[in-house]
Amino acid sequence: MPHASTRAALSTAISIAVVAALIYFLLPKYWVYIITPVFIVGVTLQSLGLVTGRTGMISLAQMSFAGVGAWVTGYLNVAQFPGGLIVWMIIGGLAAVPVGIAIGLPALRLRGINLAIVTLGFAAAFDSVLGTITYPGQTAFIKVAQPAWFKGDYGYFTLVVLVYITIAVALEYISRSRLGASWLAVRHSERAAAALGVSVPKAKLSAFALSAFIAGVSGGLLAGYLGTLVADNFNMMQSLALFAVATMAGAHLTQGAIIGGVLITLFPELLRRLNLPQDVGSVFFALGAVQALSTGETIGETWARLFRKVVPRRKGADLTGAAKGLAPATKHATGIALEVKDVTVRYGNVVALDDVNLTVPAGKVVGLIGPNGAGKSTMVDAITGFFPSYKGSVLLNGTALEGKSATARALLGIRRTWQTTRIAAELTVGEYIRLAAGPISHTELTAVLDWIGCPGPDTPIASVDAGTRRLLDVAGVVAARPPVILLDEPAAGQSYAEAIRLGARIAEIPEKFGSAVLLIEHDMDLVRRACSSIAVFDFGRVIASGPPQLVLALPVVQKAYMGIEPEGAVA
Amino acid sequence: MSALAIENLVVNRTGIPVVRGVNLIAKAGEISVLLGSNGAGKTTLLEGISGVIPASGRIALDGADLTRSLAGHRARAGLSHVEQGRTVFGEMTTEENLRVALHPSASLDQAYALFPELVQRRTVLAGMLSGGEQQMLVIARSLVGLPKVVLIDEMSAGLAPVVVGRLMSAVRKLADSGVAVVLVEQFAALALAIGNRAYVLRRGQMVFEGGCAELAKDPARLHHLYLGDAGETGAEETRQHA
Amino acid sequence: MNSLLTPAVAGLSAGGAYAILGVCAIFTYRLVAVVNFTGAAIGAAGTFVMVALTEHGMPLFPAVIIGILAGALVGVMIGGVMTKWFSGASATTKAAVTAALLVGIIALGLRLTGGQRPHLFPDLVSGSAFRFAGVEVTWGSLLTVTLAVGLTIASDLFLARTRTGLQMRALSERPMAAELIGIRVRVLALAVWGIMGAVTAFAMMIIAPLRSPDFMSLSLLVVPALAAALIGAFRSFRAALLGGVLIGIVEGMVSALEFGARFRGVVPFLVILIVLLWSQRGARWDAAR
Repeated sequence: MPHASTRAALSTAISIAVVAALIYFLLPKYWVYIITPVFIVGVTLQSLGLVTGRTGMISLAQMSFAGVGAWVTGYLNVAQFPGGLIVWMIIGGLAAVPVGIAIGLPALRLRGINLAIVTLGFAAAFDSVLGTITYPGQTAFIKVAQPAWFKGDYGYFTLVVLVYITIAVALEYISRSRLGASWLAVRHSERAAAALGVSVPKAKLSAFALSAFIAGVSGGLLAGYLGTLVADNFNMMQSLALFAVATMAGAHLTQGAIIGGVLITLFPELLRRLNLPQDVGSVFFALGAVQALSTGETIGETWARLFRKVVPRRKGADLTGAAKGLAPATKHATGIALEVKDVTVRYGNVVALDDVNLTVPAGKVVGLIGPNGAGKSTMVDAITGFFPSYKGSVLLNGTALEGKSATARALLGIRRTWQTTRIAAELTVGEYIRLAAGPISHTELTAVLDWIGCPGPDTPIASVDAGTRRLLDVAGVVAARPPVILLDEPAAGQSYAEAIRLGARIAEIPEKFGSAVLLIEHDMDLVRRACSSIAVFDFGRVIASGPPQLVLALPVVQKAYMGIEPEGAVA
Repeated sequence: MSALAIENLVVNRTGIPVVRGVNLIAKAGEISVLLGSNGAGKTTLLEGISGVIPASGRIALDGADLTRSLAGHRARAGLSHVEQGRTVFGEMTTEENLRVALHPSASLDQAYALFPELVQRRTVLAGMLSGGEQQMLVIARSLVGLPKVVLIDEMSAGLAPVVVGRLMSAVRKLADSGVAVVLVEQFAALALAIGNRAYVLRRGQMVFEGGCAELAKDPARLHHLYLGDAGETGAEETRQHA
Repeated sequence: MNSLLTPAVAGLSAGGAYAILGVCAIFTYRLVAVVNFTGAAIGAAGTFVMVALTEHGMPLFPAVIIGILAGALVGVMIGGVMTKWFSGASATTKAAVTAALLVGIIALGLRLTGGQRPHLFPDLVSGSAFRFAGVEVTWGSLLTVTLAVGLTIASDLFLARTRTGLQMRALSERPMAAELIGIRVRVLALAVWGIMGAVTAFAMMIIAPLRSPDFMSLSLLVVPALAAALIGAFRSFRAALLGGVLIGIVEGMVSALEFGARFRGVVPFLVILIVLLWSQRGARWDAAR
């Protein structure tokens, strides 16, 4: 059986090639010339789909990146740089990369909106500079030379389609790799991505760099197509319209990029033939984008959904529940796996954690209970590095973690789940586990899913109910087999029977995977079943700890937990 | 007559049914105490009633069906929700917090009469108030809107016992003035002491409904309802006591 | 001396305009939580309504009033889209919606106003107000700066003193709590959009004769406007006022430099870049995600 990404890449390549061949052999020269830009714009749209569609950052300067590529191509042409157009446009793409990274830098932290503002500013600045310089070779009537093998309308069409296919196939591979999954994870939740060990800056910058490269290449392609260019080919309106179309069509999908290319290229042509003003197209794109944003489904996704209805996706074989094939438990250091020493956290003048001490021994499940607002989730945030500063120390196997980022702590082996699941719905079950666990064999992957009761690896997460996504969260962290796992209310919202079943699974984690567990949970039945000891929090302090039955019977615990006076409550 | 009647309410949070078919009645002049351990669905139930999140079933205020109305409409109809976490407008003063919610035929004096502590803090930014004062402020803010029903969520969380006692007696006064109060509490004893009717929620279902006095007399039963092993058998208890 | 002062003063009117637009951008962001890319385009729409009316012979004063109302109407329409379909959406999605709408509005605006065809823009104010150190200060630049200062003060006063202002502050701080105390959230949000549209429309009418007055150029003034708003960290009206004026002055000075003329349009971008890099040096996490 070919690997899933190879299968997808092959089917993408073949279907585009078939469409292109039909155009090549059936349509007259004029139409081939008209259709060529569909694929050029398609390449630009793919570059935009990468940042906006996949990584969730708004870029309003994509045509400016294309402009960088086009101008560099022009200079190399005039300078008669060896290698011809194909080499020039690759250099043009590379030249756009540093520009893309420089502009992506301010978006590394905080809101994606900032990127929208920066890119719009860049587009405006690029516009004003470009408006004052002519295209290289324009005044001397030197046109950008097309490569010898791909000359003429049919030849250049072939080149454009080949470039499109190359990029589509490459993106197909990348999108199914851990890097591609990390983009989606960042788009969905930066914190959750960091907790999986994904470096958020790296994910964002790589997306932006690759996107700028592809946009630059598309600029080179356009230069070869038109021979000479003007600033208006790359002005802000073009970038904005491109953004609207990408949003409307779903440019992160290859069919979406082609639909978008058709819209941008052929829609004005259609309007012209209908004797309608061509600029009405942009109004249509704007409305389409707003519609797509409000329904959350792009044209590309609609087509994919309808296609799946007609040709149902092969559903991964449902798992049997036999839980065979789990590798033996990973050997981690023995002794104290996680130690929290004198940790204090303040929000303003509120003390959320007050000099807390807590230990989780290797190979054990420790419960953390307490009323709302007692500081349990704050504790998890402090341990996993989501607070910029706290007093005290967190030690993993005796090594202090202070000064290490959330990503670094995740990679060192402290993994967590969240009170609400933050899994990107665009992934499949298997892709998510691979993102969470890193390199993992197929046998091991199915064994983990089987153990916890999740559907097979090919199941799209979008089709999985919310309760099962919570299990998937747990599956992701155990599959990574870290020394320490923190579970934040994993059974919230589950029925009693499901919660009890999950409790039994959590109790097995040390023995099956070798990890120590710190479990935050409210359901005492689950806690009793899963934990060998518990710690009780109240007002940011540990008020009791020890074996569950003993601790739960303590008057001070009952008072904290229920506010009832204990007399008579416990026989 | 019941001011608020909830029938067979189901509320989902991020796709998970957190409240699973709940009935509840709140009468004018009474405090209905809603108990349950963390994660039982108490907050979600209140949010479903006030319209913060959509719910299915039936919500009626003085006989008028509000199930489909927006949160703002429910609020203007007299259904007030004091959310957990003391949601004061922190960058406005105490008095501004009250004025922004003031009903045309109410006066700020009503608020200051219930919480005299707030008078000398009227020009202080609400964000600078102590936790107890903020809790008083949000209850007072609800009061000056002249509601028929007030839903109060976890008002004692993180507060010192003295302050909690102060708040409890104020809530009793509020009910005595003719308002129907639904009081969500994790800490049972004090709430049962001031309440009339008690409900206990566990995993989204009512496992107990009865008089507050009855439950207060039987801590072992409460312990059982809170800390398990009650499980699904708890649901049957509702029927016995309903 | 004059060689720098003259262009600096020349940049004053543009700076005042950026300040007004920046204050409006903050107004929209603070009160309805939208980074609005259509801000300047809404104002441009109102301005062109005014121009169309005067071109057809209507006296200036009623034309200005109708233009302002038109700006308010366009603002309310966009606000309607935002509150109807996107009130629960993330800040990024809302920004994406306004960016997409910008394309449509510009295209529609260019079509209705005949593209780059020159229009007769009535000078609402003209002539030189006074000379300062040998430099002409025009009524236009004086008025824009005064208007910007007035608007900044008025915004602060409105929010601090009026009941509607109070409700708007409550809405901006905690939308859900505001709704739960019975504030008419949607009506209030639409009012914000309307006020914002009216103010920008009036500001644009003053600025338009000083710029290349086609619909697109005016709409794209949103770039320096957002740069000014960023200087105010999308929070402080006063900082945005100063920032806007400063950007205008720097632009004026840069365009006077021999090699600088072509880089005038780069100034807002550099300001955005510097402000963002500086303001985010300590930040770590995207708020609630």
